[in-house]
Amino acid sequence: MNVLEIENLSFRYGNPRERAQNEVLKSVNLYVKEEESVGLIGANGVGKSTLLKLLTGLLEMQSGRIRIAGLEMKKEHLAKIRAEIGYVFQDSDSQLFMSTVYEDVAFAPRNYGKSEEEVNRLAMQALGQVCMEGQKDRQIYRLSGGEKKLAAVATVLAMEAKLMLLDEPSVALDPKNRRNLIRVLNGLPGAKMIASHDLDFVYDTCQRVVVLYKGEIAADGDAEEILTDRDLLEAHGLELPLSFSRKYFS
Amino acid sequence: MHMADALVTPAVAGTMYVMSTAAAAYSVKKIRSEDLEQKVPVMGVMGAFVFAAQMINFTIPGTGSSGHLCGGMLLSAILGPHAGFLTMIAILTIQCLLFADGGLLALGCNVWNMAFYGCFIGGALIWRGMTGKKMTKGRITAAAVIGCILSLQLGACSVTVETLASGITELPFTVFLGMMQPIHLAIGLVEGLITAAVLVFIYEARPEILAGYRQELGAEGRMGRKKAVAALAGAALVIGGAVSLFASGNPDGLEWSMEKVAGTAELTAEGKIYQLTEKVQKLTALLPDYGFQTSESAAGTSFSGIVGGVLVLALCLAVCLVIKKVKHGSLGKRDTVNEQN
Amino acid sequence: MNRISEAVADLHKLDMEAGKRGWLQGIHPLAKLLVTVLFILLTVSVGKYDLPGLLKMGIYLVVVFVLGDISVKLLFKRMKLVLAVVCLVGIANPFFDREIVFMLGNVKITGGMVSAATLLLKGVYGVSASYLLMVTTRMEDLCYALQKLHVPGTFVTVLMLTYRYIIVLLKEMERMTDAYTLRAPGQKGLHYKVWGTMVGQLLLRSMDRAQTVYDSMRLRGYCGEFYLRCKKTAEKGDYLYGIVWSLVLLAVRIL
Repeated sequence: MNVLEIENLSFRYGNPRERAQNEVLKSVNLYVKEEESVGLIGANGVGKSTLLKLLTGLLEMQSGRIRIAGLEMKKEHLAKIRAEIGYVFQDSDSQLFMSTVYEDVAFAPRNYGKSEEEVNRLAMQALGQVCMEGQKDRQIYRLSGGEKKLAAVATVLAMEAKLMLLDEPSVALDPKNRRNLIRVLNGLPGAKMIASHDLDFVYDTCQRVVVLYKGEIAADGDAEEILTDRDLLEAHGLELPLSFSRKYFS
Repeated sequence: MHMADALVTPAVAGTMYVMSTAAAAYSVKKIRSEDLEQKVPVMGVMGAFVFAAQMINFTIPGTGSSGHLCGGMLLSAILGPHAGFLTMIAILTIQCLLFADGGLLALGCNVWNMAFYGCFIGGALIWRGMTGKKMTKGRITAAAVIGCILSLQLGACSVTVETLASGITELPFTVFLGMMQPIHLAIGLVEGLITAAVLVFIYEARPEILAGYRQELGAEGRMGRKKAVAALAGAALVIGGAVSLFASGNPDGLEWSMEKVAGTAELTAEGKIYQLTEKVQKLTALLPDYGFQTSESAAGTSFSGIVGGVLVLALCLAVCLVIKKVKHGSLGKRDTVNEQN
Repeated sequence: MNRISEAVADLHKLDMEAGKRGWLQGIHPLAKLLVTVLFILLTVSVGKYDLPGLLKMGIYLVVVFVLGDISVKLLFKRMKLVLAVVCLVGIANPFFDREIVFMLGNVKITGGMVSAATLLLKGVYGVSASYLLMVTTRMEDLCYALQKLHVPGTFVTVLMLTYRYIIVLLKEMERMTDAYTLRAPGQKGLHYKVWGTMVGQLLLRSMDRAQTVYDSMRLRGYCGEFYLRCKKTAEKGDYLYGIVWSLVLLAVRIL
């Protein structure tokens, strides 16, 4: 079963008169299966973030169709849909607004009206999945960048969401934290969609890659195939992942 | 202008708590009737912003000194007076608890002196009045400067009245007031200019932040004006109290006049804290033989009394140190046992 | 700018102390808050010449500071600011109130001197008491206590978010001012020409951040109310702490 179905999705910014020039997404079609990891790649400003925001309902849909976990994207379904989606923001500091790690991870389950025992179980399970049980009482501002990112991932894991969206997860992580994040992400259940410019990171975490170019899907297929296709990548404002460019061309 | 706990008596602190609480309760109600959900995070982050911005030293041209940003005015111009007021309270609470800037008991005074005037006089009255119909750079600057000066003058005046009503300084009223007002005139001018600079920048870069406020004004303009008038009346009352003292020149009249002001303020809200402080005061005043707070004579104090007090403290300290030593000794032992295990 | 990094460091230290595991840290925040308020209330109600009575009130501070193993290093730093303000107000007392209260050898001790000393001591007590509260209680626990006292959720949420983002924004501010100072050597503060742009930039960025924070809250089911929970429920010891101190303080103040 598909956890995410996007059909003919278009989006424009600005007021109706200016919208003709500001088309960010042009009839995008995309299906994501359960337990699938999809890398969403593309140069700056191709509409990656816009797409993610549409999927979470933070931006209102204009035309097309989105179905998440069998639910049509509509105002009345929004609360249910959001319970099925975990969104990891690019800036962890904005995502983690409570003061301690545990409080933040427990935020969503509490809002969904879970009992305190259940909240505790979910929070500890989520922290366990990112190997941060030991840090649960630490203040957010005392965490390193890598720890913040893991905590942010844990906050959405605690929701037991079916689909996880990650916006540039590898930004500002040092190599060790980056490797750790890759390990954690690969061990997680559920479908994932990772929007990133970091093609090496995408290669290490995704089986499938979607290339977005000027608001349209330019390519969609096996990660290995697309990420080694130098001509395809360069035609769409991207470059080969560093690991490949060294392997094949040096 | 943050007041410390030492500068107020329970009665004054309680009165100001009641007044500030009433204004806060009204603001909460107001925000709840608006779109609370969206404003709360903005209030939190903006509170942190003002806190950070107040740490910057702005060099005042031609002088060696520096000024700071006026938070109440800025917050009101962006969030509206009610949300701005609550945000200012959060800032003042954190300043008081985490940075010892102003006392916990004096918080009510500080909220009134800084947040209330800044948000409701500077923000609701001046800012709305001057930029509500038409917003230009000149109007923004003028509103910010006038608003800041006015709210700081009122604040400084309140500080003077509150301190004197607490009876902790022997400074004559006129001298104190004569010291406070001119200083704060200068500070207000500088703060106004800094605040104006920031607001003008916002106006040029992203006016909708300010314009959103203007739309809100359209929707509830009349209500806002009513509130502003009430605020002005409140301020007038405080100033009136101060001026009447100034005119009478009778220091004994000070407390009487404060009571008059306080008395009217009490009517505006539930007087829980006020009653509590009153009770405590009555309780302590019932014991007449030991020169307590109601007695204004110094005769109750003697050298032996002070020595006695010091001795009590010293004894207490000694006992505690012994207890601690004993406790630590046993704790230490336990720790080593654990390590061996 | 030194002030900013100093403030960040202070917050760090305070939070580190509050996060320690001592018996005082373990007391329910509400009990500590109420005792603190009562202490300050009773302290400031002491008459301006009643130095002995005020000294005795110090028992609370001495006991809790020593038995609670509280570091006093941070306290002295906090004291400076308050004492400056208090001194400014109290300095006039010895000049206006010259009534001699008693003689200490050949030195005439006047009412003004006593009242100035009392004022100073009250300042010290007030700061110490709230320091004591904050050095043993984390901000989120205090917010929980406020909620228990029926402070509106809107305000508690704003308080918590402000506390959370102070460090983030202070650091951002520090980076900006560092960048400024590096390119404007020899300037003590911010030149008036960049007043608006610099602070305005930070303001706009803060607004954007607020939007993201709000988005993040909405995506996790927020609809207008924060659910705060204290890890600790009030136990016998907490009631005991509150009641014993209240009685002791009242007794010391009255007797």
